[in-house]
Amino acid sequence: MIMDVQLASLFTSGALIVIGLYAAIFLDNIIKKIIGLSFIEEGVNLFLVALGYKLGGIVPIFLPGMTKSSFYANSAYPLPQALVLTSIVIGASTLAVMLALVMVLYKKHHTLSTKAMLGEDHE
Amino acid sequence: MIEYVIMVIIVLGAIITLMQKDLLKAAVVSGITGLCVAFLYEILLAPDVALTQAIVGAAIVPAFIALAVKKTKRTDD
Repeated sequence: MIMDVQLASLFTSGALIVIGLYAAIFLDNIIKKIIGLSFIEEGVNLFLVALGYKLGGIVPIFLPGMTKSSFYANSAYPLPQALVLTSIVIGASTLAVMLALVMVLYKKHHTLSTKAMLGEDHE
Repeated sequence: MIEYVIMVIIVLGAIITLMQKDLLKAAVVSGITGLCVAFLYEILLAPDVALTQAIVGAAIVPAFIALAVKKTKRTDD
């Protein structure tokens, strides 16, 4: 193969962040902007986990029968995995708060278009 | 070889999600992207993260978006 799994995962996370930024900046519908923000969050989580990958390594769980030196030499880096586990749950809850705010905005403006909410179509 | 196929599905799923005119279809297709990210976590030696991402990314986030779409308007115009 030309690229290994780690480099290809980093490129995938970069593509997810770019797609999410495009959606959050240029699209008009506010729910699609929120879907783009969730893509950015998935891309950042994937970046952090891919940094801790080791080619040909093992899952960082210490089982009985392993020696400590071989475990340290072969296991993937477990600190980003523990932090990303929290980050996924926080991302889901912030998404729920954003969607609740969208429901309040729809009750006030009766539209999902951000241009119509900001009143740019009256000019 | 399958990891490269999964990466292509992630990027294509994200693009196809943003091209939908029906927001309910967009919610379901974003679930495909979340599920494939969970498979990629499994390949990247993080099975605990993969379990959480499979629940959150493939079930909870599309359900939240579908509920918000049901309370508001379904089409994107």
